[in-house]
Amino acid sequence: MAKAFKYGLKGITGFLEPAERDLLRGLFDDVISMLEQDIRENEDPLAALIGLDMDVKQPGDRALLRLLPNVMKDDDGGSLEFRQLTERSVRENKIGALRAAAMGLDKDELVLSPEDSTRWSMALNDVRLVLAERLDIRDEADAEHIHSMQDWSQAEDVESYLALVYNFTTWLQESLVQAMLAARQAKS
Amino acid sequence: MSPSVAYGTDIDERTKAEEQSSTDVLTAPDIPWNLVIWNDPVNLMSYVSFVFQSYFGYSESKAHKLMMEVHKKGRSIVAHGSKEQVEQHAVAMHGFGLWATVEKAASGNETPGKGGRQRG
Repeated sequence: MAKAFKYGLKGITGFLEPAERDLLRGLFDDVISMLEQDIRENEDPLAALIGLDMDVKQPGDRALLRLLPNVMKDDDGGSLEFRQLTERSVRENKIGALRAAAMGLDKDELVLSPEDSTRWSMALNDVRLVLAERLDIRDEADAEHIHSMQDWSQAEDVESYLALVYNFTTWLQESLVQAMLAARQAKS
Repeated sequence: MSPSVAYGTDIDERTKAEEQSSTDVLTAPDIPWNLVIWNDPVNLMSYVSFVFQSYFGYSESKAHKLMMEVHKKGRSIVAHGSKEQVEQHAVAMHGFGLWATVEKAASGNETPGKGGRQRG
């Protein structure tokens, strides 16, 4: 079984079983491919170089839209313009964090620097946002319902399996953030 | 947000000076754009609070207060600034996975007289 992340003399440490590392690697890779799939080989190399993407559209997939939300509530034009200027770099930033976290999964014992921890918490958060869309978590009552599923013997279909995976990543992220807050407190 | 966290009890023990130094983003009086963070049922309360502390440099108590406002009221204005400034914050918030939007500050909500010339 995984051990909760904690803050101690070595910094932030955690422990994951091989099966848990495989699971997380799969989740990180899934979100990476979601974020990568419609980054086009940009036709205009200069635009790509400075991070512009004039052909960008609001994502049709709800999970991807949650990762890359509109920046204005009631202004689709303004939101689209913002996407053209920024979406590529947000995607690349997220992919970078997910890749870094996935690469850190090569051993049971995790020892995270402050930068590693931030990337890990971002990666876990993005995984949870995607899982939550797949599980149709719309409000706190839905979240509560999913949270009540803690028994792996209940994993009899895709949804209950996803719910258990969601709860595992939630637990892991919570323990990581608590360790990061403890590290902040120790420094101040 | 997902309320699975126990908070420290002494969050109000921060000094005045600390509060002051961390609020400059919020109190800029005459700049017309807001950064809004919206509630969602997924992001952990601890994580949202951590992001407010680490990215904006807000004190623990201020980060907690803003996080609770998001959680209870559904949204909170967490920073003010020029359009470019709040858009930059929004990019960072989207990087962290928080649901952030920018909006023009409603003139009716502005504290009257604040943008005026200073005396002395």
